[in-house]
Amino acid sequence: MSAVAPRRSANPRPHGRPARYRLAALIAAIVVIVMVANSLLDYVFLDTIPGRTSLFGLVAVVLVAVATFVFVRAFERDPAQRTRYLVRAAVLLGIAALLWLLVSDAFLFASSAGPVVAVVSTAACIPTTAFGLFVIRRIDRNEKEPWRLVLVAAAWGALVATSLVIWGESFWEQIAVRTLVPGPGLDATQAFSAGLLEELGKGTAVLLLFLVMRNEFDDVVDGIVYGAAVGLGFNFMESLTYMTNLYAIFDPAGAGPIAAGFQWYARQVLGLFMGHATYTAFVGAGIGIARQLPNRRSKVLAIVAGFVIAIAAHFSWDAWLNFFPIGGGLLGLAGIHLRTILMTGPFTTVVIVLLILGLRSESTALSAQLRKEAATGAGVVVPEEVDILRSPWRRFRERLRALDRRGIGAYVRLARLQAAQLDLAMERWHRERQELDEPLEAEDELRRKILVLRQLAAF
Amino acid sequence: MAVGQRDPVVTLYRTLLVCAAVGIVILAAGLAEFFYFEPFAQSSGLHARITGVYAYDPVTHQTSGPDRSTFLRTEQFAATVDWSTLPANITVQAIWYDSFSNVVGQVGPAKPADLANQATVPVELPQGLSYHLPGQYVFAVERDQGGQPVEVLARRLVEVERT
Repeated sequence: MSAVAPRRSANPRPHGRPARYRLAALIAAIVVIVMVANSLLDYVFLDTIPGRTSLFGLVAVVLVAVATFVFVRAFERDPAQRTRYLVRAAVLLGIAALLWLLVSDAFLFASSAGPVVAVVSTAACIPTTAFGLFVIRRIDRNEKEPWRLVLVAAAWGALVATSLVIWGESFWEQIAVRTLVPGPGLDATQAFSAGLLEELGKGTAVLLLFLVMRNEFDDVVDGIVYGAAVGLGFNFMESLTYMTNLYAIFDPAGAGPIAAGFQWYARQVLGLFMGHATYTAFVGAGIGIARQLPNRRSKVLAIVAGFVIAIAAHFSWDAWLNFFPIGGGLLGLAGIHLRTILMTGPFTTVVIVLLILGLRSESTALSAQLRKEAATGAGVVVPEEVDILRSPWRRFRERLRALDRRGIGAYVRLARLQAAQLDLAMERWHRERQELDEPLEAEDELRRKILVLRQLAAF
Repeated sequence: MAVGQRDPVVTLYRTLLVCAAVGIVILAAGLAEFFYFEPFAQSSGLHARITGVYAYDPVTHQTSGPDRSTFLRTEQFAATVDWSTLPANITVQAIWYDSFSNVVGQVGPAKPADLANQATVPVELPQGLSYHLPGQYVFAVERDQGGQPVEVLARRLVEVERT
């Protein structure tokens, strides 16, 4: 006997603007206030790069100008369109303000060794970070997240999260060095500062994605993808900071390139996944699991649990790194690898386990939903397609067949059809679990879209 | 879902909670470490006197010039301590920490009377480097107990400029 188990809705507000938007707006407002405070503190205490404001101010000025233009044109429109234009103007204005704040703060991180070293360091870190983002997006084998959101997540990690924590950590450090006994206790408190503030800064991005882009945030797998993307972005900017800073420190001794190169290897190769990506993936996992839990208490507990593991994993690295001293020569080189594997490897393994469990759960659910959809006889999914759609490898083989017969256009059209069919299965899964706040019409619209795509993809 | 079949999300949730429990143990261990090395009940009310931080000549072992709080990377510098203000029955040490928390200069641990002829504590150059590392240096006069520092009796912060 089989039946749908009765359960409470995970998102029991079916119509109107959900309360989560208000929460997202509140968090966004707090972030902007903190960033404005950061910039003011930059201006008062770190006014070392006067040119940066004029350079990036120009872009902001252009955006302000366009926003003003759109704002003025809004009043030439009828009232129905006016609101849309006003919203566009406000968005442009917001982007201008954020650009000013973000880029001016970002410059703080790469100023120590001069622009050439900063550019070379950036060029060295872009391919590795891009590779990391490509890999984490690929592991979401059933429904890949849109590049725009993955990149937004990474950009948040690189620009916003780093800007959010710099003053908090500096303030914490200044109090600690003035009050505590130097040594392991002081190291521990600074590790608490890094774990707590950095994971909160990065985790805020994942939380905002969860609140605002619920349609693209399906489960634990998506949470891990977005969390890791934020972590990779943060790691990118932190790598730049350390590379440029250590270059500047060791360059007078002729060892600047070696110091920067070592930092690149440690952070962009060895620690690409075993570091910030792992820590923030825990935050994402917690939020992704919360997405599918039925009651508010469990949701909050899952989110808090994700943050706790992320903070603990980050803390353990920063606090206990010195317990694994590294010597010189080949043994030292082996030690560096062993230290990362021993200290961060277990956490990365747990993320992988959560990912595998999530993927397995997702695959089982999608298979069931595809079968149910095929059984309706509506032609959106036909029975012969079910086994193909449930296997990434078989989907790929079908696309290759399309490529072979009709060229790249057929490949792309079939890929769109398969993605839409999997989207529908995902929608059905969430609806069955009562996790959607969209009306049923959206699902029917998706079916109509699939039928059109099927006609286009026919060969 | 079949009746009696466990929801996989619940399995994930429980796995996450187990991990969070491990996380709490890690953070508790961190707190224990912090309180072990920062025993707040150990305050003796004593204060040492750091008479200043000066330019230092490593050849003559003499300090010169005014008391300063910033130095260039190329400059040698040292702190001077008046050990006579401390009681004879305690164990103390004076340590320089660089911006990476490395120990770059130290006298003690010993009784204050034994350190009377070591009033000047210079900052040593890191091995293999010709200049000091830039950043904030901390000079701390610490009281030791049971083989570990338990209290800072005096502290000075010095900035070594990048250029």
